[in-house]
Amino acid sequence: MIWNKIIFGGLGRRGFEAVVASLVLGAASALVAGSLIVIEGGRYALTQAERDDRPEIVQIRSRFNRALFETPRSGNLPPLTLPVYEPLIEPEQLSSATGDATIVARQSLFRNVVSGDRFLNVYIFGIDPVAEAHVSSFSLIRGRFLRPDDGVVAILDDASARALGVDLGKTFPVRKADGEDLDLTVVGIIGKLDLRNAPPRTVEAPALTQGSSFVSSGVFVTLHTSETIFGRTTLTDALVVARTTTDVPFLVDSLREAFRLEPGVFVTERYSQFSRKVHDFVLTLTLFTLIGAATALLAGLFAANLLHDVYADRRRYYATLIALGVSPARVALAGLSLGLAVAFAGTLTAVLMSVFFRPAEFALPSLMANLGAIEPRFDLSVAAAMAAIALAAVALGISPTWWRLLRHPMATALSENGR
Amino acid sequence: MSPLVAVQCVTKSYGRGSTAVKALDSVSFEARLGELVQLTGPSGAGKTTLLNLISALDRPDRGEILVAGANVTSLSLAEAARYRNEQVGIVFQSYNLLPQLTALENVLVPMIPNGRMDRDRALELLDAVGLADRGAHRPAQLSGGEQQRVAIARALANDPVLVLADEPTGNLDDENARNVMALLCRTCRGRGNTLIIVTHDRDIMHTADTVFELRGGIIAKVKSNCHKGTPGPNGHPANDSHCRR
Repeated sequence: MIWNKIIFGGLGRRGFEAVVASLVLGAASALVAGSLIVIEGGRYALTQAERDDRPEIVQIRSRFNRALFETPRSGNLPPLTLPVYEPLIEPEQLSSATGDATIVARQSLFRNVVSGDRFLNVYIFGIDPVAEAHVSSFSLIRGRFLRPDDGVVAILDDASARALGVDLGKTFPVRKADGEDLDLTVVGIIGKLDLRNAPPRTVEAPALTQGSSFVSSGVFVTLHTSETIFGRTTLTDALVVARTTTDVPFLVDSLREAFRLEPGVFVTERYSQFSRKVHDFVLTLTLFTLIGAATALLAGLFAANLLHDVYADRRRYYATLIALGVSPARVALAGLSLGLAVAFAGTLTAVLMSVFFRPAEFALPSLMANLGAIEPRFDLSVAAAMAAIALAAVALGISPTWWRLLRHPMATALSENGR
Repeated sequence: MSPLVAVQCVTKSYGRGSTAVKALDSVSFEARLGELVQLTGPSGAGKTTLLNLISALDRPDRGEILVAGANVTSLSLAEAARYRNEQVGIVFQSYNLLPQLTALENVLVPMIPNGRMDRDRALELLDAVGLADRGAHRPAQLSGGEQQRVAIARALANDPVLVLADEPTGNLDDENARNVMALLCRTCRGRGNTLIIVTHDRDIMHTADTVFELRGGIIAKVKSNCHKGTPGPNGHPANDSHCRR
């Protein structure tokens, strides 16, 4: 109790300045916190965009990614096999062009599948189960995902499974390139599919996402099985994941160089667009940071000056305590406690108000318009910045007083009147 | 019997170069346990400086000050605070009471470093200075004389062997000054404290065991009432010839 009185009491007229310092710090903190939570929101939006865009992924695809098309075997017409478009991406050629980047190889086929008395157009994808899982999202509602050592098994989306009338453990035939049927056993049913860089949806087929212009369903088998169906090892498309985004330009050049003699092979990347987005973000971020920093600096200095007045007025008070035998460290702690209480009272109130009254969404100017409206976010870095401003103001406020107390004889401070 | 306080060839200057002012010039004296020493002299003679040096609130340029055999001129800030807390009670001219604390709490402040605030002892001390019924009053609610009496009680809080009083009656009217001075001398005598008091009060000269008169930073005159006080290490009253300049 007595110690609390020693810390916070005896401010006299300087008590008003302490309150003003607290208010100034509060106002500055509110403004800075407002800027920072918008910045953090923008940073989060960019992280989201990076996660969605995956700018480190380069797609390489051949023009004809439909390997084979058959008319139904039932009916009056004889089965008709359309010409096979030879995919042009040789796995070895791709490997040599990509260096240490990760290759997510794919074979994409389109088949008429007959199951019992039904037939269906389905997309069949030969994938590397491990690599594909790192770029695409498969939500299975039943069964399991593919394994690298799987044989003639398949997972397929729920819509296709229902259309084919198959379920876990059942089989359905797929016509191979040699004209024979291969029975695939269903080991998993997909409830939701997010296939990265999915091919465009060109014909009527079951779909998990209605109205989508991209394929949102299909039968997935291992590359080994799809090569058996396809009769070839060449790829229809592949994703190449660069180690870092900065490697992307070099990787794209390398791929274009490797496939320069193949006019039907296209290399596409999103890094250029993404880097423009980043550039825009950095500009906006800089603007907000400058506003925040300038505000924090000016208000922090003003608050520090007010605190300095408070401390300077208490120099004799602190000297008296030391003269009475209270240890200097304990007196310093008392001084710091006062400053921290003043600073954090304002800062904490302001931060809470900023968080409480922040808008649900904040539409940034055109610089970041392509990110859409961002949601202001309060996180540890904002809290740390606020604490740093308060601490800096207290440190600046108390330093001159404490410096004079330490550097000059205590008798000097005791003989002072006020400052 | 070895002296409690031994000031040996102490020199202290303020300012630098041509503006330097020598506040004390090779001052030496001793005070024994239980002795009442009066320092007198005109303003600027170095009386307060000498008290500040003895209480380790300042450091001399040269010389040593031994209190209970320990040199107090080279203590760190924290050591000096501990020394004052354990061995010295200080009565300031301007009281230096903490305004937000009551009289009782002000007396308790020197006990904070000990970690044990003995309210009974504080009340007893307030009773001894005649303020038993004013313990709950703040300094602003007390007269100057009462504030100084609280300061005396505070100085005695840790039962120090040495009490230093710097013109304790300087801000008081005659009657209050007489009362405070009598109280201080009586209390210190009763408790066996060594009291070094800076005052112009002529009445106390008859009470003090030894009176040192400082002039221009040197001890110009010594008056010993009961031969208890010792003017210097070799009986020299003032700036001794044995001090190396």
